[in-house]
Amino acid sequence: MIRTRKLWITALLLWSLAPLLWQVYTSFCSNESLLHTLTDHQSRWTLENYRQVLTANPPFWRYLLNSALVGITSTGLTLLIAIPAAYSLVKVPRNVARGAKLFLLGAALFPYVLLFLALLELARNLNLGNNLLALSFPYTALSMPLAVLLLSSAFRDLPSELEEAARVEGLGLWQRLRWVLIPLIAPATASTAILVFLFSWNEYPIALTWISSADLLTLPVAIARIAGSSVYSIPYGAYAAATVLGALPLLLLVIIFQRQIVSGLTQGAIKG
Amino acid sequence: MSLILENISRRIGRDWIVRHLQLEVAEGECLALLGPSGCGKSSTLRLIAGLDQPNEGRIYINGKDVTSVSPVNRRIGMVFQSYALFPHLTVAENLALGLRVRKISANDQYQRVASVLALMQLEDQANQRPAQLSGGQRQRVALARALLRDPLIYLLDEPMSNLDAQLREDLRPELRRLILKDGQPVVYVTHDQHEAMAMAHRIGVMRGGQIEQVGTPQELYHQPTSIFVASFIGRPQINLLPAESGIITAIRPEDLKLCTQGLSCQLIHREWLGTSQLWLLESSRGPLRIITTGDTSIPNDIQLTWLPEKEHKFDASSGLRCN
Repeated sequence: MIRTRKLWITALLLWSLAPLLWQVYTSFCSNESLLHTLTDHQSRWTLENYRQVLTANPPFWRYLLNSALVGITSTGLTLLIAIPAAYSLVKVPRNVARGAKLFLLGAALFPYVLLFLALLELARNLNLGNNLLALSFPYTALSMPLAVLLLSSAFRDLPSELEEAARVEGLGLWQRLRWVLIPLIAPATASTAILVFLFSWNEYPIALTWISSADLLTLPVAIARIAGSSVYSIPYGAYAAATVLGALPLLLLVIIFQRQIVSGLTQGAIKG
Repeated sequence: MSLILENISRRIGRDWIVRHLQLEVAEGECLALLGPSGCGKSSTLRLIAGLDQPNEGRIYINGKDVTSVSPVNRRIGMVFQSYALFPHLTVAENLALGLRVRKISANDQYQRVASVLALMQLEDQANQRPAQLSGGQRQRVALARALLRDPLIYLLDEPMSNLDAQLREDLRPELRRLILKDGQPVVYVTHDQHEAMAMAHRIGVMRGGQIEQVGTPQELYHQPTSIFVASFIGRPQINLLPAESGIITAIRPEDLKLCTQGLSCQLIHREWLGTSQLWLLESSRGPLRIITTGDTSIPNDIQLTWLPEKEHKFDASSGLRCN
């Protein structure tokens, strides 16, 4: 029983991690070694891919910075709107809340790629092209349904006596949120923030169409550009190095916050 | 200081959870609301606190109509069933939060929190979080928070239900002393009749959102106005004899006496309780419980009698007292 479970876990780990490990491996190989059998005096291992990516013009850290900027503003903006919205969903009459949640669920499941032409049109008319901060508007809007749903289940799980005690103590609505409720849903907020950041970090079609200036590209678009930079060859090594570099910050975030993420995501599920 | 509820009703959907409730609690008085779960006792407390609004009726605190006043301005000291301590704050922060939002100077906050911590013997726990405290300590923090409100009335919602039986008994005298020391009216909600009798001057027995009877523990025990109160108050439960011409006769287990010529019974079960013992008997008028002294031996032929003035008579259809 335990052996079969171990087997399953190993298989799952291989299934999900193998492509990543392959990518890391590729990033340290010279392009020649990837395409041809090695001759004697050639070495397989090289840091050339990383050097190439980091010293390109503009340098790669520029894209990391761009993505981080968009990610942080989208996450901040999303939480700023989603937290009060989620709280109000717990306070409105039950049938209203159910309707609103169904609507949000529908919006969360809607394939957003279908919207991107309309969004592009909007960006053109409102002059939002080539503006990093403007990117956080669609990102915030697209993350909103999921964020509100996650946070409202966190608010719902708080014992109502806590808020009533705060009312008796004389805390007004904003004071209750600031001193009691928001600190108590911190795990859910952390996991929601990571999910929103992740979406913004990975988003491709909107970033591709809204941003054209090379200095302002976000990571996915920049990485895609490396892959398509030459007509005659595909720079597998450099491409792999860029993806590894792009994944590192997220990996760190998840490692730091993994406990909050797991407890936040399972919170609603257990107490139902 | 006083609390008056005047014809209070509250409805959720079509169900009346509190109905035409009249109640008066005087200065220095502790009134217990007693009843089975779902009888409306906690709902009544929430109405007094202002956490819910009544559909009808008015609430007066110290003669002032507070029916539409917010919870904070009613100045109530409330202890919740779960204690509702803020888990992310230390004991001292829990106590200071209310003072801080009431714009009391930092120095005063410190002084008042320190003095209430001393009163409650919680100085050593000041910097601990609620999760690190024992049940009894949590209760004291919850009570300390209520004391700091400088309240006009105290409302306690099952304040003992999270404690084990021994601790409950140990804490009663101290809790009673603290809530009564400044003379505010106290409303004490509980489902435990022993606790109600131990804590309260008067008890309101509730059923179906209404008060069935209000009175001192002695009145409720000796003069119950309905079958419900008679069976709810007193353990072991009162004996109900089958109805005869529309009248149910009830008799307390300790009022049944052994005799040589009376109602003949068979022994079903016997529990020795130390100074007394409980016998479960089967008779021609149904099962009976009787309390006898601890040293009574079981006679071969059990015959029971009782004094007519110990009988409680109730109308079988309305359940109301008729003697």
